[in-house]
Amino acid sequence: MSASLDYTRQEIMAIATGREIRDGELAIFGVGLSMLAGYFAHANHAPNLRSMTEGGVYGATPVGGLPWGIECNRISSNATCFSSALDALGFLVASGRCDVGVIGAAQVDKFGNVNTTGIWDGEIGEKFRPPKTRLPGAGGANDIACGAKRFIIMVTHEPKRFAEKVTYISSPGYLEGGDARSRHGFVGGGPSAIITTLGVLRPEAGTNEFVLDGWFTFSSPEEIKANTGWDLRTSPRAKVIAEPTREELANLRKVDQTGALRK
Amino acid sequence: MSSKLISLAEAVRRFSWDGMQYASGAALPVGSDAIIFGRELLRQRRRDLHAIFHCNSQQLNLLAAAGAVTKAECGFSALEVFGFANGLRRAVESGQLALEDYSNLAMPLRFLGGALNWPFVPATVNIGSDMQYRSAFAPDDYPNKTKIPSVVDPFSGREIGAFSPLKPDVAAIHVTLADATGNSILLGTEWSRVELSRAAKKVVIIADAIVDPGCIRQFPNLVRIPDLIVEAVVYWPFAAWPQSSPGMYDVDEGHMKFMNKALATEQGTADYIRDFVAPFDDIDSYLDMIGRENIATLSQSSTSFLLDPYRKWILSPEQIAEHAAELAA
Repeated sequence: MSASLDYTRQEIMAIATGREIRDGELAIFGVGLSMLAGYFAHANHAPNLRSMTEGGVYGATPVGGLPWGIECNRISSNATCFSSALDALGFLVASGRCDVGVIGAAQVDKFGNVNTTGIWDGEIGEKFRPPKTRLPGAGGANDIACGAKRFIIMVTHEPKRFAEKVTYISSPGYLEGGDARSRHGFVGGGPSAIITTLGVLRPEAGTNEFVLDGWFTFSSPEEIKANTGWDLRTSPRAKVIAEPTREELANLRKVDQTGALRK
Repeated sequence: MSSKLISLAEAVRRFSWDGMQYASGAALPVGSDAIIFGRELLRQRRRDLHAIFHCNSQQLNLLAAAGAVTKAECGFSALEVFGFANGLRRAVESGQLALEDYSNLAMPLRFLGGALNWPFVPATVNIGSDMQYRSAFAPDDYPNKTKIPSVVDPFSGREIGAFSPLKPDVAAIHVTLADATGNSILLGTEWSRVELSRAAKKVVIIADAIVDPGCIRQFPNLVRIPDLIVEAVVYWPFAAWPQSSPGMYDVDEGHMKFMNKALATEQGTADYIRDFVAPFDDIDSYLDMIGRENIATLSQSSTSFLLDPYRKWILSPEQIAEHAAELAA
């Protein structure tokens, strides 16, 4: 933790994610922490951000804290448009119009592929079998991963979540790496960053393997490597990431009224 | 057109059967969903359902927990910020229910394909991931070639996928306002209720409130489900409880958590059915079961203003009965 400012790892993860989002962009957020990161960007440095939810609720900002869901009263009381999933994920994302999306992950691998479907004991094998632990499934994340110009993955940094290869690809990153995505003709460009509770990983040009790009002041390259399930390489440009400013923290906490990121 | 208002019990008797493909809308995990229809499905002991839910909701969570569902197709299978859906999860992990995974865009696209009677829908999402290669309905087939088969775009020559269209036997669709013949106004996101209403072979509307036809004639642009395609209308306030209905009531946070915790075990599910599925006989006793004070609190929603333009047309239970009689005459 910082000597001057007191904040949680979840909060710096949300702030670092928000810093990836630029003013004026057309952006889509899932429910939960990614929504807080997106609306933080809106409150902090991107007043002209064009935000949408995959549920078709546009122009809204959360009222009274982190919404329980996309149709929750906390996100439906100041919307400027109620539309549909086909509109949000189809007309505005699958079309190729969406600039940036933010998604979460239960498991992510070195090519930025995301598993949110289940946890199996070992490989699934030839025959599909129920997972030991069933997870939420793809939701809109697969559609964002296929269609958004770029997307950001937000994930708690733990060894079990950072695998050489995910057990099940729910949402495609760079698949087997390199230009593997081009095989499927996705309109979207792929993941631009993995933002974690310890630092930031970005894809290396050419291989599209994720490498260490930055660490937080309370973290270190050694700690990040120890918590990553593949042999993580470090970018020559890697450096310590700026601490949140007072203003950034204040803006984040305005959005996160119920303190979901401080628990 | 004559009134299509019928009781909840009659709607489930006439429009559901064991082994059917049952779809519910909107089915956002925390929002508007015809949850009351699912409670009645359990009261009438329907079994072996093939559930088509764009997203899981507390309805699918309950039906799965009670063992009434053997197959399900979903774009998302949790409860958003309320966490994993314990009842559905238990049914999937035990192998009792085969859950076929799609995404939140794939499901409305498949409804659209059903609605338009297309042979397939071009898929530019879900391809290249395990949602294409793995199938819970055909577990031995890997990599799977029948769930989202590859097809060639005849114009570009590029390989894409094909989604199978959906035409559920019956869709129970939750709406905010309907008139007695089924013209429906939806406050909040449509999610996929419009496509679903055109894809399903039969549509039963579950409305939080019934309005005078004057309301429909004032706002015809806002009628997203017309009576032309509606078989029956059920009036049932707080039909989406414990989920929310924008303009009407907020999500019941306490009951969402309580219910999901109960559905995590067989005993908890049995207790939940005893206490919150079996006891009510009519709308009044249902509202008593929720609790009148709780109803008052949930009705004080920050979204209440959304209902203001329509309030003067909302019929009281007595007016609904009279109105139904007039239309029948």
